[in-house]
Amino acid sequence: MITQWFFTHVDRRGAIVIALLVALACLVPLSNLLLPPTSALHVPTYLVSLIGKYLTYALLAVALDLVWGFCGILSLGHGAFFALGGYAMGMYLMRQIGPRGVYADPVLPDFMVFLNWKELPWFWHGFNHFWFAALMVVLVPGILAFGFGWLAFRSRVTGVYLSIITQALTYALLLAFFRNDMGFGGNNGLTDFKDILGFNIQADSTRSMLFAATALFLALAVFVTSFIVRSKLGKVLVGVRDAESRMRFLGYRVDRYKLFVWTVSAMMAGIAGALYVPQVGIINPSEFEPANSIEAVIWVAVGGRGTIIGPILGAVLVNFGKTYFTAAFPEIWLFALGALFILVTLFLPKGILGLYGTWETKRKDRIARKRSEPGSPATERATPIAEPQAAE
Amino acid sequence: MKAKDTLLYLDGVSVSFDGFRAINNLSLVLQAGEMRAVIGPNGAGKTTMMDIITGKTRPDTGDVYFKGEIDLTRHDEAEIALLGIGRKFQKPTVFESHTVEDNLMLALAGPRSAFSALFHRQSADEAERIDDILHTIRLHTKRDWLAANLSHGQKQWLEIGMLLAQDPKLLLVDEPVAGMTDAETAETAKLLREIAKTRSVLVVEHDMHFVRELDVKVTCLHEGSVLAEGSLDYVSNDQRVIEVYLGR
Amino acid sequence: MQLIRLLAVFLVLSGVFAPGMEAGAETVDDATLRPLIQALAAENFDETTKAVSGLAKTGDARVSAILNALTAGDLYIVKADKAVFIGKRDGSDYAATDPLTGAKLAPVPRNAAEKIKVNNRLRRDIAAAIGGLTLMSDNPAERRSAAETILKTRDPESIALLDQAIAAEKDSGIKAVMQQAKAAAVLNSTAPDDAKIAAIAEVTAGNSRDALGLLTPLQGSDGPVGDAAHSAIDSINGKLALWNGIQNIVYGLSLGSVLLLAAIGLAITFGVMGVINMAHGEMVMIGAYTTFVVQQIIRASAPGLFDYSLLIALPAAFIVSGAVGVVIERGIIRFLYGRPLETLLATWGISLVLQQAIRSWFGASNVQVGNPSWMAGSFDLGLLTLTWSRLWIIVFALSVFAVLQLVLKKTMLGLRMRAVTQNRRMASAMGIRTPWVDALTFGLGSGIAGIAGVALSQIDNVSPNLGQGYIIDSFVVVVFGGVGNLWGTLVGAMSLGIANKFLEPFAGAVLGKILVLVLIILFIQKRPRGLFALKGRAIEA
Repeated sequence: MITQWFFTHVDRRGAIVIALLVALACLVPLSNLLLPPTSALHVPTYLVSLIGKYLTYALLAVALDLVWGFCGILSLGHGAFFALGGYAMGMYLMRQIGPRGVYADPVLPDFMVFLNWKELPWFWHGFNHFWFAALMVVLVPGILAFGFGWLAFRSRVTGVYLSIITQALTYALLLAFFRNDMGFGGNNGLTDFKDILGFNIQADSTRSMLFAATALFLALAVFVTSFIVRSKLGKVLVGVRDAESRMRFLGYRVDRYKLFVWTVSAMMAGIAGALYVPQVGIINPSEFEPANSIEAVIWVAVGGRGTIIGPILGAVLVNFGKTYFTAAFPEIWLFALGALFILVTLFLPKGILGLYGTWETKRKDRIARKRSEPGSPATERATPIAEPQAAE
Repeated sequence: MKAKDTLLYLDGVSVSFDGFRAINNLSLVLQAGEMRAVIGPNGAGKTTMMDIITGKTRPDTGDVYFKGEIDLTRHDEAEIALLGIGRKFQKPTVFESHTVEDNLMLALAGPRSAFSALFHRQSADEAERIDDILHTIRLHTKRDWLAANLSHGQKQWLEIGMLLAQDPKLLLVDEPVAGMTDAETAETAKLLREIAKTRSVLVVEHDMHFVRELDVKVTCLHEGSVLAEGSLDYVSNDQRVIEVYLGR
Repeated sequence: MQLIRLLAVFLVLSGVFAPGMEAGAETVDDATLRPLIQALAAENFDETTKAVSGLAKTGDARVSAILNALTAGDLYIVKADKAVFIGKRDGSDYAATDPLTGAKLAPVPRNAAEKIKVNNRLRRDIAAAIGGLTLMSDNPAERRSAAETILKTRDPESIALLDQAIAAEKDSGIKAVMQQAKAAAVLNSTAPDDAKIAAIAEVTAGNSRDALGLLTPLQGSDGPVGDAAHSAIDSINGKLALWNGIQNIVYGLSLGSVLLLAAIGLAITFGVMGVINMAHGEMVMIGAYTTFVVQQIIRASAPGLFDYSLLIALPAAFIVSGAVGVVIERGIIRFLYGRPLETLLATWGISLVLQQAIRSWFGASNVQVGNPSWMAGSFDLGLLTLTWSRLWIIVFALSVFAVLQLVLKKTMLGLRMRAVTQNRRMASAMGIRTPWVDALTFGLGSGIAGIAGVALSQIDNVSPNLGQGYIIDSFVVVVFGGVGNLWGTLVGAMSLGIANKFLEPFAGAVLGKILVLVLIILFIQKRPRGLFALKGRAIEA
């Protein structure tokens, strides 16, 4: 029953990726914790955290692809939702420090003591509970996205205009979070975390568990995205991407569809941020930098937008490249990243998976046409996958 | 009021873009079950008129009523579509990355909310409706094709099929035979006459052969208002129509 | 601040009143002065104060030199006979001069002399006294500074002197200061009410901020004086609010000009051509670095031309940035026409490459771009102090705008540009080589960004990140003003600049900027196509 339900909503490729992620979630912690460091199969802790970080980026990329690849909304501000989720988690971790901070205040985080604050600001209440913080991880980005989207989509702000105001949104938040009196630690952000759910955040076992949680959440995101994309709603979204006004004339309230998928995507980005923070040990306003959000867009573009696996592939590959280059040839990295933007948009508009996808759709399409018109020569057309944005 | 008992009622409608009057005091009445052909030179305001009826453009002044009582100027495109007005565009717009079948599925009348779409499963009844339409538009052998791979004429038909799937009371059809072969044009005329048996249709077309084949009342627009209205013979003998449109 | 000014007054005075110099005021015979000078050496400060005002009342020109010596701590007495002399240290002795005649006296051993002490109150009185004395000086600058000193000390004793001085004064500017000073002194005295009310009217007409300080203490007093002070304060506050508003507008215009400079090139590439150029900020940055290079060359080869360096940099920056723009358009952007989101990503990539290239070339830290002399300094406008650079930026931004309008409206390139953007196929059918027009249009927009970089190098840090700071603002300006409308960009930039400056006092600079961004986001909801949007079918097609 359940397996049948599962396979009606996920295609073969999606299923493989989910299976892989679940396997990773089990095997990597086992290898890290049980095998001796001398073993060839041992995964060292730094690598666990590094890959864990990549996977949170992959989750952000999947979220971004859901709106860009499938609905044509190019967000240049998804980093804001990621960072907000991260801050919500950071606030929980901050409260967990308790009296172990430098100033040993039982309630106030160090930076508040430093700023001579006497009381916890109202929005910091409740973050001593994990469940509350977890709720905020999805609610805060979700509500912001809902409010923003409600305004933007209702008045039909589309295309580049929308991209630019999403960028203005994250820029405004960047400026706001830099301020000390916002109550989020200003320039330095939140850091020096001690433990999460009672476990030492530096311990190998905790790091492995955080990795496993990330892999499982990513698997869940792949499933949810597949579910959405393969439903009728997903087809409406693609319709909106390719010919938005046509969809309206068919009687669909385009703004509501966009709002739904936009909010879901923001929540996914929030979860990604929340998983990112305990693994890197810090969250600060630089996560709101518009450049970060645009970099996330290139992960999706490299992997292939409008596919579910593409963004994961792109996020991991690009970030692996970044880790390698910034260590080996720091001068080269920005050249490489810049060139990547240019080359992918010029020569690989559908990304790595798009190459494969084009080939496969062509093959399927040819089979379908052969079946329907035996003997008639198939009239070859250049692009079976329609160009997003071409219609409007 | 006069609007009563009409299906579509436009009275004194004007709209201007940056000082240019695209529609100028236009009045037009369509009865239930009627098919009407609208002709006129480029820039006569034919497409803008459709934009006004379907809620894409708001008129500066004038009344637009559907079924005698619904003020269309107060509704947006999606609401107007759900009221039962379907529109086919001048340039065929189908969803190119969807299959022919999915195009029809999306157009099919039914709940339009995002939530119902998320958990929608195709019923036997819907499958049957899609089958019927596929046969009507002669694309049943191409149901798995991506719409992008259809020929121009086939896209026009798919779009008409999508209109049928919407099950509207009024069809607005903008240049349905542009770019079609003569045979296809004749087929299309037949198809539209078939459709007009059960619904009202407003056709905008340049092709006078096609209009003659439709054999319905004709309205000629010029500079945003009605120049002449009547049978094709009557209109095509009107001096002013000849002057601005048909030529001598 | 006040102290520094006092000090400055003394420096001027002590320089001018070198012994033996002819002063234009009256002379009193030595017999009257001697006892008063001797009285300076009194045991307590009250006595000394009396002696100071006694000396001042004589109006003798030599008095101020003595008083100067007193405040400077150069006035001594010989312990034995209490004789007063002006001493300068010279080894273990004091080189002594007679305070009145300036004649050289026998050196006095240091342990045989004692300094006449002064305290702060006394210093003030001495300053006022000197102020009174120099009111009659021949030198206008001295008279003015004397009057200004009294305006600050508000010494009622100098009223009579001021009356004399006002009657004699020819220079209307100095006369006004004197009248102000007199009014201030009257307010500080025990003069009758009607005199004070007249004085209130007098100070109200003068410098508002000073007047506020003079009047506020009177506000509490009863009777007609208090009332008059109260209404005067109200009117001054109204005037200050007005000037505050004017200041906000002027500062807003200057911020708006910066925004206009940054956005105006984008108004061409994005507004007219529809190309989303995320590397626009880098075009500005390249312009700024071109300025730096031009200045380096001038410094090395022709330092005399430094004041003209910006004028030389303007065409250079236009050419360099414009050329980079043409290369980008021909190399990358032309393949992406009609795909705005892809253009956005590719040009973002270009911006990263350009930043890194500049960083590798010039280093990651700021480079020093100098200000020519005519950009330095400031001037007064009513109650405002404006820097020249602020004014020049406004003038420059508006001229760039005007020139661009001319180019678009009056030149062949402008005509072709407009033709191509309105109907590409028609234009090409008429024989216009549209690819070249595209490249030149993009080059023009980039070149103007480069020119903006020359101006911005004067007010901002020139670093590889320079452009990043302007890109969002520029897009916001263009979108706010209405895409495809240069006038919209002008109005958009100026109104955003002014809005920012008006929000700043309430919200602080950062929060003000955030508020503006939020307002813009809300505004775009209302009018998705900007202030001066084009309407109609063409825009949707």
